[in-house]
Amino acid sequence: MEDRSIQIQLGIGAIAASVFLISVAIPFWVSSPSNVPNIILSPLFWPNVLSALTGLIGAGLILTSVVRPRPEQAAKSDVDDRPAAFRRLAIMAVIMTATVLVMPRLGLVWTAMVTFVATAFLVKTKHPRSALVCAVLIPLVLYVFFAHIAGVAIPQGDFVRLP
Amino acid sequence: MSFIDSLFAGLQLVGNVEAFLALGIGVVIGVIGGAIPGMSATMAVALTLPFTFSMSPITGILLLLGVYKGGIFGGSIPAILIKTPGTPASSATVLDGYPMAENGQAGKALGMALWASCTADLISNLALIFFAGFLASFALSFGPPEFFTLILFSLTIIAGVSGDSLLRGGLSAMLGLLLATIGLDLVYGTNRFTFGNPNMMGGLNFIAVLIGLFAIPEILSMVWNPSSHDGVARSLGKNKVTFKEYQRSFKSIVRGSFIGVFLGSIPGIGAAPSAFLSYSEARRKSPNRENFGKGEIEGVAASEAGNNGVAGATLIPLLALGVPGDVITAIIMGAFMIHGLQPGPMMFILNVDVIYGLFIGLIVSSVFLFFVGSVAIRGFKYVADIPRGVLFPAVLVLCVYGVFAVNNNIFDVGVMFAMGAVGFVMMRYKVPAAPFLIAFILGPLLEDNFRQSMLMSGSSGWVLFRGPITWFFWTLTAITVFAIVRAGIRATRQTSVPTP
Repeated sequence: MEDRSIQIQLGIGAIAASVFLISVAIPFWVSSPSNVPNIILSPLFWPNVLSALTGLIGAGLILTSVVRPRPEQAAKSDVDDRPAAFRRLAIMAVIMTATVLVMPRLGLVWTAMVTFVATAFLVKTKHPRSALVCAVLIPLVLYVFFAHIAGVAIPQGDFVRLP
Repeated sequence: MSFIDSLFAGLQLVGNVEAFLALGIGVVIGVIGGAIPGMSATMAVALTLPFTFSMSPITGILLLLGVYKGGIFGGSIPAILIKTPGTPASSATVLDGYPMAENGQAGKALGMALWASCTADLISNLALIFFAGFLASFALSFGPPEFFTLILFSLTIIAGVSGDSLLRGGLSAMLGLLLATIGLDLVYGTNRFTFGNPNMMGGLNFIAVLIGLFAIPEILSMVWNPSSHDGVARSLGKNKVTFKEYQRSFKSIVRGSFIGVFLGSIPGIGAAPSAFLSYSEARRKSPNRENFGKGEIEGVAASEAGNNGVAGATLIPLLALGVPGDVITAIIMGAFMIHGLQPGPMMFILNVDVIYGLFIGLIVSSVFLFFVGSVAIRGFKYVADIPRGVLFPAVLVLCVYGVFAVNNNIFDVGVMFAMGAVGFVMMRYKVPAAPFLIAFILGPLLEDNFRQSMLMSGSSGWVLFRGPITWFFWTLTAITVFAIVRAGIRATRQTSVPTP
């Protein structure tokens, strides 16, 4: 992506975020007591100031890219196959979401093993056997450390419980 | 408490096998983490943090400091052997280190990198010991308005120098400050962006945000382009650095160390600019200046001294003022807080034993670094050969365990993944992550000091200009903004001029 296009997209994003925060998010999701003596001390003041500054920075980003654009450079992609890269990212998002959702039922250790294997195969590991061995060993070693040395209550899940 | 009493109190705290073992293990982890391309010293410190929860505060913090020191040196190994800096700070080392490796002098380059790193590290640690206490005694007279202006200045400089432009750095800092407003209000205790979720009432977990911002984007980058970070390692060769060569480069090492100390003590500048400045100064002053860039050993010495000279000095603003000097010290500040310690001037009164314990540990870390570094140079091949397709899934699992362990809360794991997505988008859009994290940490302090100032003065803004200290920081902030904007305009003008 070119520098100018990045700058404009960031600027638009910042202004949109600022407008959303000031007009929707802060009025609905920030509560303030009615007896605040001065607006400066209100819980609403700081988020409003930060949102306004975000909008100003967004405007600055757009302005600098319009007033004095940097020379366009030929867009150089860092990957050969962009659709495949986006596909991999989408699958990774599914893996991450599934990790959080499945963990309470499957337990942290088993979830971590599945996550390890899925990620290793997603990045097309050249060492599948090592990946499988590590997928079993690393979560177990971490379980031993956190559960038995650090005293953390690692979720065990509903199926197989570890000592 | 006299100096000798404080020193003995510190010795009492760290004078045990456990503390030194933690320091040594930290240096080993740091060197390995820094040496693996795609990992970084920041990531290594972030991933080590959850393992310190079960340790005593001093042992845990020494472990992290060891990782920090080791990580900065470790980055030079791949920079020299495979032309891939393990940390951004090692970028300057590539300039002469890799040509030396191509000439079959990799062993000599790595040896000099180690000698220069240890010397600079020692000088930086001594600077910390001499200046932190002095600065802290000065900072004892700070009230909320002074702290507000100090934090504002720190954030301005961090936003300005961390990325390509002040505006992008500023945007990053704003997002960090906004994220820090989540949770119960500091004064009235009302809800801010909690959406009725009790998990969000205490604000977002610092470790989840940190690991999400600095480790997950690297994993997503690997998913985006699995063939990145590949490189061919050069052999070490049979040459070793001689004492004569060290002596010849000594001036550049000392100069680089002082540049590192100076730049490191200013919040936000970090190791990379220091390494490049030290390198360019060495080239300007050296009789062999025409050899720089072609494999000059003094170039390796200068850049390594520049980046390691920062390592102790970044702790000066952290310990004396409670303001982190860079991202790694921001993580270490988080570790202090997790262990119930608040870095800042009061720590020199309330926890003087911890301060002196850390000083002793830091001096010893330079010695550990020398021995661990010598072994790591020979063992790099094995580290470089760790398959990325196994390493990154392992890092992912480590992140999940580490973040869960903080509060035994699966919600934090979700926050980490969400922040990872934010960090990846920021990386793609060239928005620096450092101002985000530092603003997220300093945000509550900034707001708290602002509101306390307003309460003190009956909501009069003049309290923020009440004395010479506040004026000093306002002036510094104005100068910083002016200098960064001017530099940005100049750079844009230069790139706008079409080349013939």
